[in-house]
Amino acid sequence: MPEGKGYKRLKAQTSLEDILVVATEFERTARDFYAGLVPKVSKQIRYLVEELAREEQQHFDLFTELLARSDIAGQVRQSIRTPASDRRFSDCIHLPELGDHPDDQAVLQYALGREHAAMEQYRSLAESTPPGPIRDLFQYLADEETEHKNELEKRYYEIVHSGGV
Amino acid sequence: MSVRDLLSPFTAWKNIFRDPVSIEDPFNREASERYRGFHRNDVEKCIGCGTCEAICQNGAIDMVPVEGIDGISTRPGDSGLRPRIDYGRCCWCALCVDVCMTSSLSMSNEYKWVESDPDKFTFVPGVDKKQWDDVTHGYHRPAGHRLNAPERIEMPELEPGERIDSFVEIVGGYSVEQAVLEADRCVTCGICVATCPTHMPIPEYIAAVRDGDYERGLKLLYDSNPFSQICGKVCTRKCETTCAASHEGDPIAIRWLKRHITEQIPFERYRDIIGGPSPASGRKIAIIGAGPAGMTAAFDLARNGHRVTVYEAESAAGGMTRYGIPEYRLPSETIQRDIDLILSMGVEIRYNTRIGSDISMEQLHLENDAVVLAIGLWLGRSTRIPGSDHPHVFKAVDLLHRIRNGEPLDAPKTMVVIGGGNVAMDIARSMARLQKQQHGEINITLTALEDTAHFLADPVEIKESIEEQIRILDSRGPQECITDDHGSLVGLRTWKVLSIFDKQHRFAPTYDDGDEQLHEGEWVVEAIGQISDMSLLGEELTEKLEWNRGRIQVDDAGRTSEPWLWAAGDCVKGPDVVSAVATGHKVAASIEAMFEQENADA
Repeated sequence: MPEGKGYKRLKAQTSLEDILVVATEFERTARDFYAGLVPKVSKQIRYLVEELAREEQQHFDLFTELLARSDIAGQVRQSIRTPASDRRFSDCIHLPELGDHPDDQAVLQYALGREHAAMEQYRSLAESTPPGPIRDLFQYLADEETEHKNELEKRYYEIVHSGGV
Repeated sequence: MSVRDLLSPFTAWKNIFRDPVSIEDPFNREASERYRGFHRNDVEKCIGCGTCEAICQNGAIDMVPVEGIDGISTRPGDSGLRPRIDYGRCCWCALCVDVCMTSSLSMSNEYKWVESDPDKFTFVPGVDKKQWDDVTHGYHRPAGHRLNAPERIEMPELEPGERIDSFVEIVGGYSVEQAVLEADRCVTCGICVATCPTHMPIPEYIAAVRDGDYERGLKLLYDSNPFSQICGKVCTRKCETTCAASHEGDPIAIRWLKRHITEQIPFERYRDIIGGPSPASGRKIAIIGAGPAGMTAAFDLARNGHRVTVYEAESAAGGMTRYGIPEYRLPSETIQRDIDLILSMGVEIRYNTRIGSDISMEQLHLENDAVVLAIGLWLGRSTRIPGSDHPHVFKAVDLLHRIRNGEPLDAPKTMVVIGGGNVAMDIARSMARLQKQQHGEINITLTALEDTAHFLADPVEIKESIEEQIRILDSRGPQECITDDHGSLVGLRTWKVLSIFDKQHRFAPTYDDGDEQLHEGEWVVEAIGQISDMSLLGEELTEKLEWNRGRIQVDDAGRTSEPWLWAAGDCVKGPDVVSAVATGHKVAASIEAMFEQENADA
């Protein structure tokens, strides 16, 4: 749900830098979660969890780099000119309990659920923020999460929906 | 001198006022519109089938490789060869044009070509650019004029009304006359051989049908495919997708001709025709899984004199061909005959034996010179949408297994299938038969994410499903399995899928949630994909092995990163009988090569 703990934490921030710091922290948490999951899953599907950890690291790097720039607002404005559209495939995917030995589908479901929740959270924040650089930043973050979710959906289809014989 | 002699020169002068009968400029005279002049070839349309070469009575055409020239490359259905014509031999009869399978070859009405070097008159039309390439006039095969019949001989089949309440085999098989007529359509180009995963000698066995030499045909079949009877009925026939005849007509019914050969010889004679195994080598091989890949490897290795033991978890052999394909497409007797032939080579099968619990992988490793993993794709995937954990939501592979195993099944009066592949069609059609038998009517809805054009199912399966009253709804995205207040499953809720793939043909669906439908179903059956159960490997071996995106990693010969272990079949290549056969051959050849190397080193 968008109005969760993360939502409240982000809503309380008043500067672009502070919002980005919190968003970067979320990415770090996600990366660490997947990195921690790597040794728990079978080697057969470890590639998938490693890829997810790498992707969260890429987001972490992207936001960290953005944070280091002097013109965050300008960069963000440029990035949201082509907003990503939500495919909605994940709307009906359960957020599973991962358990001790999740399979590839459960890991992907979980990742989709996370990205979906993050996307909705940022989108909701953007909608409830008056026009300006902060709204642009929330929109940018929502787009980033949507893009990632769309990419995961492609992978989900390729892995799970092989079409049968 | 007479007066006549004096006047005659002047009478000739009268012709000065007549129209000339000779041609003023013979070097620029255009030939008639349909004149058979110099050859042209549309190299994009040409598939290099070599039919022109085969028909040329003067040996004026030979096929030459042109890969890399003007973007021509070897690809499925294109040999990468193009005809080269020698005008020292050509008589411009145009048989090559008349027989051309794609109408790529034609003749311009140009007929003048002056060269000082006679070798120049041998050229590759379409590749060696000529001034007549763009000439509009010339000879093309007239519409409707065909040297070979474009339409395939229809296969006798049971009508929908005759077949819908039973699991009796639908297809009847060709008569000898029908088979010969169909075989006559083949131009023996051999392009299909490259497409067949196991490279069966298709033109040769079709020629055997033409010649009525079925023993030769049977030998050719079983030398390349020990599942020939099975493939004669359910092969995915990739060969037919590249058949030269398919460009301007129906592809040759290659699968049905294979089936025809196997039906012409009594099974009791198979073994004599195919031949027995070589003397015992003393080598031992364990194979896990008695499906097409495992049994093909077993067949090849046993024929070479090795002692092969196949470990099978089920009570009968055949793998998914026995437990996944319905009886009306593939009768059990057909499967059993191919299995019996393989067993006759000395292969031993230990049924009802599970690796991991009854015997460990380590034990197999220690007791054998090589181990082959051919465990198929037996676990069905679930959509895992809300409600999909309801006890009346089933996986198609599990239900098909129960039906083939003869377990009694109370068919629901209404049912929804999710999926657009052959498994989805198989379960829908099987349950339709049970519904007809038990309730007298059929009420099955099949929904798929993909639009009909992108269904993975064989078009024949789709056609026959519709004939059998299966309601097929394409472009429907499953959202939820719906239950009523009492917890009973009532159906599947779906959204309309507006598009499914992006420009890179990757999954990127768009939905119209305004178009929401509830499809009535006491049962929902998921047929969206399958996965291997690799738990038999155990944690230690799983860690030791290299993996490639969820599948066990093998080299080109099917060998895993553990030198004693090979893997073949659906668990490596994805679901397909003939591809499984091909990988079975491959691992057998690789194991054989290892034995030869060891013998040479000893």
